[in-house]
Amino acid sequence: MLLKTETYQHQKTLAEYCRNGKEITLPGAITERLPHYRRLVFNIVNDSLESAFPIAFKYVERVHWNEMVVDFFSNHKCTDPQVWRMPFEFYGYVVEKEFHEKYSLPWLNDLLYFEWLEVELYMMEDIQYPLYKDSENWLGKLVAVNPEHKLIKLKYPIHKMNPKKAKENKGDHFLLLFRQKDSGKVQFVGLSTLYVFILENIFIGTKKLDEILNDVLYFFGINDMELLQKNTHSFLTDLKSKGFVLGIYK
Amino acid sequence: MQPQVGIGFRKEFAAEFMEGQSIKPDFIELAPENWMKIGGYWKKVLNELAGQYPITSHGLSLSIGSPEGLDMEFLKEVKKFLIEYDVKVYSEHLSFSKCDNAHLYDLLPIPFTEDAVNHVSERIRQAQDFLGRQIAIENVSYYTPVAAEMAEAEFISSIVEKSGCQLLLDVNNVYVNAFNHQYNAKEFIGSLPLEHVAYIHMAGHTQVSDDLIIDTHGENIIDPVYELFEWVVQRINPVPVLLERDFNIPELTQLNNELNSLRAIMGKHSQKAVIASGKA
Repeated sequence: MLLKTETYQHQKTLAEYCRNGKEITLPGAITERLPHYRRLVFNIVNDSLESAFPIAFKYVERVHWNEMVVDFFSNHKCTDPQVWRMPFEFYGYVVEKEFHEKYSLPWLNDLLYFEWLEVELYMMEDIQYPLYKDSENWLGKLVAVNPEHKLIKLKYPIHKMNPKKAKENKGDHFLLLFRQKDSGKVQFVGLSTLYVFILENIFIGTKKLDEILNDVLYFFGINDMELLQKNTHSFLTDLKSKGFVLGIYK
Repeated sequence: MQPQVGIGFRKEFAAEFMEGQSIKPDFIELAPENWMKIGGYWKKVLNELAGQYPITSHGLSLSIGSPEGLDMEFLKEVKKFLIEYDVKVYSEHLSFSKCDNAHLYDLLPIPFTEDAVNHVSERIRQAQDFLGRQIAIENVSYYTPVAAEMAEAEFISSIVEKSGCQLLLDVNNVYVNAFNHQYNAKEFIGSLPLEHVAYIHMAGHTQVSDDLIIDTHGENIIDPVYELFEWVVQRINPVPVLLERDFNIPELTQLNNELNSLRAIMGKHSQKAVIASGKA
């Protein structure tokens, strides 16, 4: 670094002021204009977060939301040069600081995570699709699925109902999110534990569907294979119509 | 040579833009930070745009004025982007947007000091060496100087000279700074190394008080900025000119009118352009 300590300190002072808004003195500066920098910088952060988390923004009391954003930007060093990825750092900060306890919002972490995944899936780099054949005869075959997906577990069903109602429905709520190839839109589907088991095995990619269903019989204590096959076929057909299941591996 | 007039592409007007009826720029400008390492819908849009228009690139996050070292991982991604989309002009701001490895996502003024000149010039050289191309560095708008030991024009000129970079002359920024800091815009421009101007930015701004203009890119270009632009184009070689409009976006036909106004001014003087000697 060719900078003198003095120059570095001036830059650091201005940057910290933009982050925390605490009054500063800078030699040669027009003091009354400094707040414009704080305002412009803070607005970018605030707007990006509001845009990434519209549901959380709606359901968290404004004073609490503002406190979280101010705390985050004052104390967290944003490391990502791409501003659209910054909300993920906010999510991490909120979890770490346990704001959900402070504000009695047990669903907060789930909601921020869900909203972030929607952004991430929508924007993330394309993932190579497998070589597959369009087919619905899955039994005895390896099922091919859209690789641009996330399978997550939430404590609160914030994908189905508003957070205040979701608060009363604590449990294990599984969710599949994926990006549709043609439209690029992100879709999500709620899943039972049984279908999570099936999908996880499909993702591993080593067992054919009938082998996976045999495991289901064993682990879930189900006796009726015919019914299981029929229901699984309907499930996969539905996911195929939504652009998640592709067919079978070539 | 036909005047080349482009527009900063915004996702907000993507749909209408892609129809291609309302606005006809010669090229588009993108911030690499918003378009690299992405996929899905916007990647398709990007590829479609790249098939229709030449692309220039104007960075936001390189933070050439930061005290710390360059983010080489970031620069690697920028390089990939510039190659993939055959970007002819890559520009960045003469400012800092990161300090102590914390991004601020906006442009802060670098102290106009000799050591900052040396430091920034070295960083530009490093970036240019890595990218294998010259960068065009933009004179930024600023609302207060910070611990200045030299004049803004001297600061910019010294960096251009020491780093071997090109200059992106933002005419609106000169107007804004001249108003905010009470100097003569033409004298300021005349003291810059105009032979290094590779690119021009034009935009609107917002006056927020009797003595302060904020560089919002949220209004139409005003007549005094057009006049300053006309004064500039008579003193430099023809270069691409870009219209920036980031907020309060009007009908695209209105933006197209602004592109045409810029073309008309450039066309008027294209036969008379002189190679600037460095002094107006």
